[in-house]
Amino acid sequence: MTKEVYYKDVNVGTEMPSFTSDPINRTHLVRYAGASGDFNPLHHDNTFTALFGLPNVIAHGMLIMGITGRAITNWIPQKHLKKYKVRFSGMTDPMDLNDAENTTKRATLTVKGKVAKKWEEGGEKLIECEIETADANGNVKITGTFVAALP
Amino acid sequence: MADKSKLGTEFPAFTYEVEKGKIAEFVMAISQKESKDQIDQIYASKDAAKKEGYDDIVISPTFQTCFALWGGGGLMPMITGLGINLGRLLHGEEEYEYLKPIHPGDAITCKTKVVDMYEKEKKNKPGKFMEFTVLETEMTNQKGEVVIRSRSTLVER
Repeated sequence: MTKEVYYKDVNVGTEMPSFTSDPINRTHLVRYAGASGDFNPLHHDNTFTALFGLPNVIAHGMLIMGITGRAITNWIPQKHLKKYKVRFSGMTDPMDLNDAENTTKRATLTVKGKVAKKWEEGGEKLIECEIETADANGNVKITGTFVAALP
Repeated sequence: MADKSKLGTEFPAFTYEVEKGKIAEFVMAISQKESKDQIDQIYASKDAAKKEGYDDIVISPTFQTCFALWGGGGLMPMITGLGINLGRLLHGEEEYEYLKPIHPGDAITCKTKVVDMYEKEKKNKPGKFMEFTVLETEMTNQKGEVVIRSRSTLVER
């Protein structure tokens, strides 16, 4: 259960609790492909990515947006969410199971956020929060914002 | 290269019926979980959702990506229809405005339009361009209420 968050308790600069994913592996990509219906071979077939000079399959941007969305709804109950917008700024390679030591960091994502605006409009108490999702090497995958109407 | 004559094109509307099991499957995928018992129960149990103040199970914030992929004939017809090279396609931006909740059993009709096509010179490769295609989709439920507006920016690298 997501605890209620009240407008009076949130200020510009308030940080969203940070959230870290499990290391993303190819099975996670296959599961997401099936669940979402996005069967672009870019995400599961490295004989396809090789045609375009990419050594690896890459994660679906929408999987990263989905994981980032979990960070949001872990903090703010989903019913308060009004807008959610992201820009995809980097590709995510899944971890290699035969080289976990060198590939786990690139596939482990942490979402952070900070409230940038707080205002009342049309009878609603709104906050806008800036969010960023990056891997454990510091490479940014997503930047974005969400708007929520709080009680 | 994206076909600029497609600017303003409206794709045929389609309707997707939201299924309870699909919501749980999708949330398991983004939650990196093996079982629906391990996900937030507002996405799996009507009783749990009601306790949290929802009328029924709800979809997660990005679930609507399934509508076009499963209900609209998949990715390829749209991509080939726009003249986009799949191997060069990247997702640039995605934006949602949530107007009403979506529950299992809802029949959501999606209307997608190409609202912008433009190019930008690559920073590190002068004279080479990235092509951008912007799609807007209005999603309406069986009661005629607009539930979500979305905007997607596709990029050809």
